[in-house]
Amino acid sequence: MIDDRKSGSGGRYALIALAIAFLALFLMLPLVAVFVEALSKGIAAYGAAIVEPDALAAIRLTLLVVAISVPLNIVFGIAAAWAIAKFDFPGKSLLISFIDLPFSVSPVVAGLIYVLLFGAQGWLGPWLRAHDIEIIFAVPGILLATIFVTFPFVARELIPLMSEQGRDDEEASLSLGASGFQTFWRVTLPNIRWGLLYGVLLCNARAMGEFGAVSVVSGHLRGLTNTMPLHVEILYNEYNFVAAFAVASLLALLALVTLILKSIVEWRFDYHRGSAGH
Amino acid sequence: MIGVHGISKRFGTFRALDGIDLEVREGEFLALLGPSGSGKTTLLRIIAGLEFPDRGHVEFNGEDVTGLKVADRKVGFVFQHYALFKHMTVADNVAFGLSVRSRRLRPPKAKIRARAAELLDLVQLGGLGNRYPAQLSGGQRQRVALARALAVEPQLLLLDEPFGALDAKVRKELRRWLRQLHSQMGLTSIFVTHDQEEALELADRVVVMDHGTIEQVGTPEDIYMSPSSAFVSDFVGETNSLPVSVVDGRAQFFDRAIEVESNRVADGPARLDFRPHDVSVCDDQPGCLPMLVTGIYRRGGEWRVEGEVTGIDRALEIDVSATETPPEIGTRLGLRINRAKLFTTGVQP
Repeated sequence: MIDDRKSGSGGRYALIALAIAFLALFLMLPLVAVFVEALSKGIAAYGAAIVEPDALAAIRLTLLVVAISVPLNIVFGIAAAWAIAKFDFPGKSLLISFIDLPFSVSPVVAGLIYVLLFGAQGWLGPWLRAHDIEIIFAVPGILLATIFVTFPFVARELIPLMSEQGRDDEEASLSLGASGFQTFWRVTLPNIRWGLLYGVLLCNARAMGEFGAVSVVSGHLRGLTNTMPLHVEILYNEYNFVAAFAVASLLALLALVTLILKSIVEWRFDYHRGSAGH
Repeated sequence: MIGVHGISKRFGTFRALDGIDLEVREGEFLALLGPSGSGKTTLLRIIAGLEFPDRGHVEFNGEDVTGLKVADRKVGFVFQHYALFKHMTVADNVAFGLSVRSRRLRPPKAKIRARAAELLDLVQLGGLGNRYPAQLSGGQRQRVALARALAVEPQLLLLDEPFGALDAKVRKELRRWLRQLHSQMGLTSIFVTHDQEEALELADRVVVMDHGTIEQVGTPEDIYMSPSSAFVSDFVGETNSLPVSVVDGRAQFFDRAIEVESNRVADGPARLDFRPHDVSVCDDQPGCLPMLVTGIYRRGGEWRVEGEVTGIDRALEIDVSATETPPEIGTRLGLRINRAKLFTTGVQP
């Protein structure tokens, strides 16, 4: 720190100023713009845009997608992280690569894969049609796309954490007579809770905000297969700016809440890891 | 009584254990001693039920427990790094084993709490029950781990490198204390260590292991005074070793006969091992080994003299009573080896 102070504070302040200017221009300004635009016709217009039936349907659908995809993600994430961190098996590194796949594949491509599989012209299309199952341009497609895009979040958070913790605690618990479930519930889960929560937050934010993959499989049917981000786009394309920004402001609020929660979780997480050191 | 019969275990291509047979007596304090990779920890984990053997079986009091999981074996296991549950208080850690019992077997809450407090008193940590493991010193954590393992009233206590992570002074105190606790509670205990001093000081019997096999089992006195192999002689205690050839049952070091009381081995190449204290200084008499003094320092009540003997690379170390005037560096000293062990080597001296 002393060295920092000596070595020209001018450069340091210039760097900080640059960073702040950058953040203001690219992050704060758009965020403010969203709210300014949303409220440009007054609070009444803002409220009306949100309680409008199609908007409500979009919100409901988004919440439904979150309610299903996040719990699945938790289950999958814990299972995968557990297997990878605590056991050795052939194909382990392959599994890790697969978990990372959604990070490296464009969401649009992810959506297209599902269309290719389940769409009317897709591999399974005729069979699905024969059995009257709708996946593409329906809620199941949106769910699949969201799950695909979000599935690394929890696992990626937990794998390093659980690897670092090793198997000692679980073995200690088992040696004291605890069952597998008791060990998971009373030893493993408390050890990973902050990492898990962090992963869930990120997963939740992504599930609500996902546009690309969902856009491809949704079909944009108003009131039926429109999630919030898709609804925003439709409204915007119809030059209905106030309504578009009103719904967008909800997503922006979600982002802010996520950011705050994330900071809290990170702080708790670091605190716990710090105190665990020996 | 614990019986281990014909235990073998591989990890991939690595042979961790190879045909281990061992009897552990009731009330015994047994040390598994060996260098890293000797299989000692694997053996301990197999006895605990944390690892399962490829071949062989484990018996507790004549009952085959090879297939039983750790939870069903009634063993207390103390992990090398303690594995305390860091999100629980010390008291909750100790009470864990009782609180996870099925409702039928679980004592009432107040009783569990009382038992935890009792155990914490036993390990001299009374009053620290509300702390978290992170707030304790290494030695205290170790004792919490012990109290936690004892809470389930194990028939067998297993300790993996129990003092490995502690500094020297705490280690020594804890060692003595553990030895006391063991006799006081009438436990049967097995501990793993790579520290021969620890094994010799603590254990009733020591099992010396190397490369997945048992080299020797015996009392510390046996192990130290009559090592059964060159490995044990090297690994336990300080050893000087001379390459000799045995001719007509007598050891010769470069054609010089060495007068020494030792075991008999077949004629041929051998090594003659002797402890630093099994040597006395003599004048130029027949049978004396001339050594050039290269170093000297005090070790308690003795001078530790280091020296070179023509024909071998490794410096010899011998003890000379500190009541005598220390030999000077650069002088020659005649050595008489009073007691030694011979091991055939198959290598030409």
